Amino acid sequence: MKKLSKKFWKLIFKLLRVFILANIVLFIVFFFDLDGKLMFYVVEPFLKKRYDSMERRDVLQEAYDLDKFPKYKYD
Amino acid sequence: MANEGKGVKIDVEKMQKKLAEMKAKGLKQNLRDFWYGKPHSAEEGGRRLGEILEDKTQLYTHREWRGVKDTLYYMYMIWGYNYLHMVTDIVKYSNNPVDFLKGTFRYRWMGQTYLPVLHWFDRGLQGMRGEALRASAWHYRAMVSASIQQMCNFFNADTRLHHGKENEAYKHTFLAKETTWGGLFYPWMDEGYRYVPMEMIPYFVTCHVNSHTVHNYIDAAQSIGLPGDPCPMCQAEAGLYVLDDVPDSSPLAITCNEACDGSVGTAILQDWFINKPLFALPMPMQFDDPLVKKYCMKEIEECWKFIEEQTGVPFDWESMRKRLEKQNKLQRDEWEKWEVAAKTDYYPVNGVAQALFRIFSSQYGIQGDFWDEASEKVKKIMYRCVEKKINSFPQTRHRVIAWSCAPLYYSNWCTWAYNCWGLNVIINMDSLMFDMEIRTDSYEHMLEDVATYHMLAPMRRMAVGGMHHIFELWDYKEKFNCDMVAMYDQLQCKGMQGVHGLFEDEFRRRNINAFWMPHALPDSRTVSRAEIRSLINDYMTTVMHEEPLDPSLLDFDDSMTW
Repeated sequence: MKKLSKKFWKLIFKLLRVFILANIVLFIVFFFDLDGKLMFYVVEPFLKKRYDSMERRDVLQEAYDLDKFPKYKYD
Repeated sequence: MANEGKGVKIDVEKMQKKLAEMKAKGLKQNLRDFWYGKPHSAEEGGRRLGEILEDKTQLYTHREWRGVKDTLYYMYMIWGYNYLHMVTDIVKYSNNPVDFLKGTFRYRWMGQTYLPVLHWFDRGLQGMRGEALRASAWHYRAMVSASIQQMCNFFNADTRLHHGKENEAYKHTFLAKETTWGGLFYPWMDEGYRYVPMEMIPYFVTCHVNSHTVHNYIDAAQSIGLPGDPCPMCQAEAGLYVLDDVPDSSPLAITCNEACDGSVGTAILQDWFINKPLFALPMPMQFDDPLVKKYCMKEIEECWKFIEEQTGVPFDWESMRKRLEKQNKLQRDEWEKWEVAAKTDYYPVNGVAQALFRIFSSQYGIQGDFWDEASEKVKKIMYRCVEKKINSFPQTRHRVIAWSCAPLYYSNWCTWAYNCWGLNVIINMDSLMFDMEIRTDSYEHMLEDVATYHMLAPMRRMAVGGMHHIFELWDYKEKFNCDMVAMYDQLQCKGMQGVHGLFEDEFRRRNINAFWMPHALPDSRTVSRAEIRSLINDYMTTVMHEEPLDPSLLDFDDSMTW
């Protein structure tokens, strides 16, 4: 029983330590705007490169067929 | 003097200055600053918000210390809470979260807008404390939720993300121009249909969150030979299609002439590039004439017939009625808030949170509970402020009404203006446009009111809707007990440019303190944020002869910021 209780408290302290550590890390990320810096200097430039080099449909090559669909008038 | 080592810059001079200041303040004051946050004004030993921001990028050297309670609130209940809910919202609204990831890699407006969203919060909530911080953030939360819902509705149905397959979501999605009010589609929502405004996220929200994204679309429109002088909103919306950057999420489309004739041009290009059954729903310009209203009611009914014909699903009155009632409730909530804002100093929502929440919710309509949930939370905070007489903006020197269309890339100017000069934007034109309930006692009454709502339209009623409406400013200024006008000056809006002189005359005749704020709606390259600030600074010093509350915010370079 004593052994079980010891194990239980050990687990609680371990969880508490993880909780405190996670909060410290979160606070550092939050306070020093590390999320913003990551987005600005790493993620966004990477995504921009991708969008800039993406192949796109050339919409101007498509004919503008005015009579393809009805006028949708319901008088 | 800065020591540079392995990419870490330490400004020794700045640190020494800070340490000397702390020493001079004494332990008691330092502890007080730590616990409650530094006071606002320079006279009180101020917080100098401009000094915690990096030059150009405006990323934080460190985020603002708002005192123990408010810093932890911001960290857990705004920053952490919203990051977490950005994920849970995807799970909630997406049929398959992988589609969301695919959309992020496919669409520029998606990746560049969604990811830096917490910086949008930072900009809008800069310097806010206590109840103002809490209430304004709930408005932001609702807008983020609504945005994620729209993105998910886009991607759930997008044929491009599903190997060209037209799935059930595709068959149950209506794409419409962003200024077509979402309420027009309520009758089909019980049957599982969803409305997605084609440009609300790709254009409108993007400008607020990341002002650089839209430049790609404006340039794209001009790159095909279109002139650069029409409204940049119309250009950007056309540019989205030129770059083929709008999801293919619906078998049909509905366009309108939005605020002006510039948008008719956009709608023609959309008709060409979308290449699907399309209904063009007119929005009358001069809408006060009862005959025009009758015409508009008829056009709306034709639009509904078009939807019935395309979907094979009839108009459902019950589906319409119950959503309109929810929308009416939201309108009544807003009237309650306006009453407090107009008659007391206890309204806890800042100018940008008020304006964006209102224009977004009244235009997108009811497609979930996020508006109502946020509204209830804000009302609760507001009544606590009233009961305990909490003034959330204690440094207010002037109560400001903002009129005409705001610069989308600098909608948070009001947060800056309060922090720097004590200019508290109480209300704005965009919030006041749809100032009405819609009757649900009969089909005829409903149709009549729906037509009115449709005609009031963003950038219509008080922008190009005729002198009588444009000059509603004077009544609202009195009603909201404001002593100053912030007059937006959209340089590429031919309609509003035409009445510039009339406003000048009226300001002089009525002896009203007013400053002009030139801008080009989404395009931050025409009039930069720094130029806008400089004009306000000039007005406040040369005309009002006032000193800034926070001199560190007077002049800074934010040319590269989102």
